[in-house]
Amino acid sequence: MKNTPPNKSSLKNTLLERIEQENHHPRSRWFFRSRECVIWFLWLITVIVGAAAFAVSFFVMTHYQYALYEATHANFLTFIISALPYIWLIVFAVMTFLAVYNLRHTKRGYRYSVPTVLMSSILVSFAAGSTLHFFGLSYAIDSYLGAQTAMYQSQDEVDIALWQRPSEGRLLGRQVHSTAAPTQLIIFADESDTRWRMDVTELMPEDIKLLQQKKPVRVLGVVTEADYNIFHACGVFPWTYQKNMTRQDLSKNRQEFLQKMRSQNEYAQQQLLTIEEEVFGEGSTSSPLTTKVCAEIAMMKRISRSME
Amino acid sequence: MEQDTITTLSDEELVKKTLSNKEYFGEIVDRYEAKLTRYIARLGIRNPEDQLDVLQDIFLKVYKNLNAFDTSLQFSSWIYRISHNEAISSYRKKNVRPEGHLIADSEEMLGFLSGKEDAQDVMFDRNINAEVVNKALLAIDNKYREVIILRFFEHKEYEEISDILRIPIGSVGTLLHRGKKQLVTELNQDAIRM
Repeated sequence: MKNTPPNKSSLKNTLLERIEQENHHPRSRWFFRSRECVIWFLWLITVIVGAAAFAVSFFVMTHYQYALYEATHANFLTFIISALPYIWLIVFAVMTFLAVYNLRHTKRGYRYSVPTVLMSSILVSFAAGSTLHFFGLSYAIDSYLGAQTAMYQSQDEVDIALWQRPSEGRLLGRQVHSTAAPTQLIIFADESDTRWRMDVTELMPEDIKLLQQKKPVRVLGVVTEADYNIFHACGVFPWTYQKNMTRQDLSKNRQEFLQKMRSQNEYAQQQLLTIEEEVFGEGSTSSPLTTKVCAEIAMMKRISRSME
Repeated sequence: MEQDTITTLSDEELVKKTLSNKEYFGEIVDRYEAKLTRYIARLGIRNPEDQLDVLQDIFLKVYKNLNAFDTSLQFSSWIYRISHNEAISSYRKKNVRPEGHLIADSEEMLGFLSGKEDAQDVMFDRNINAEVVNKALLAIDNKYREVIILRFFEHKEYEEISDILRIPIGSVGTLLHRGKKQLVTELNQDAIRM
């Protein structure tokens, strides 16, 4: 290309003069090194926060009450939607984006394609997140944030809120008094320390035993008299919030729940037949007693359907 | 400074020497002045006064950032990168589009048409006028034109282009391939118009 360059020696001389007159100096090596260090440091921070977000997301998803999802949600889809830890997933996505941005701005970062940098950042966060989860830090972070910030609900707070909903037939609390055997009514104090008169006539003996241990339990049922705080109990389950729960534990819980609900159904039907026979004699076909409270409530129907 | 010794020094050695004695910087200017003038002209800075301003900015930036030069890279890639960025910021500062410019003259264009193996597929008719190709090069997307300029007119290798434009090596190949396709389309359209 015949594009005449500016006078060669003139440019060199002009530049050397400007350097001299304007007192230009090469910036120190440390300036560039520290800038590179800052970028790597920012990258490290994003990876650590991303790893923490991954760890807590993993913890939240695995500790959500899968075992009894029919009791708390209309179907599995609504359960999954409510179980996803959106805040943490957003934090994870933002941190991954920032990590990729930082990595691409390091000295050699541009040499790698965005998918490569993205995948490596995700993998590093996964690996670091799994390590944090393994050492119980996901639970610690979740609990700490729950305790320290009003905006954040830790997983145990979420679970408590999920089970402390009398209007939806769920109570969390413990037995405080009971009538003498055969126990038909107990006094139950829930999480907000409200006292309930709980009808336990449809409960199995194991459920009664669980209540008598006076440890925190979850109760499924229905409020029959809201003005008088009367609750009809249909099933009792231990409060199993533990930080070290594994997938096997969760799956075992699920099996226990299904088994218990099956037994509960059979037991309630058997018990009603016995009462009918006692009251009306053998061969009786209909009576007011066949109206079982538990069998009629939507939540129990939902659970029965899922067991079919 | 002995002139004979200086000319035998590699760019990287010159950088080291410049850090202790700024007089060596003159040799860097001498080595790159013509190349960079041509390069920024191809990027759209045609006015000689503007060229001089941009060149001064480039070399001052090079001087001030000598310690940022990564010796694992080629010095020419580094200085081309700075030039590329300065050329772009120059027309951003002036808030104007790059001027219509001749990317290459007939002689260079002839080299482009018959030279590099990977340029062969662009040429379906060797009798195409250099001016037509220039026009077509101006019509294609900027990102493709930049890579084509570096590859075919500045004769840079893929790795050097990757270092100059700060893009992955794989993307250099992709951009070249797409750029050539777009160039062929433009040339075809020109042929139809003619």
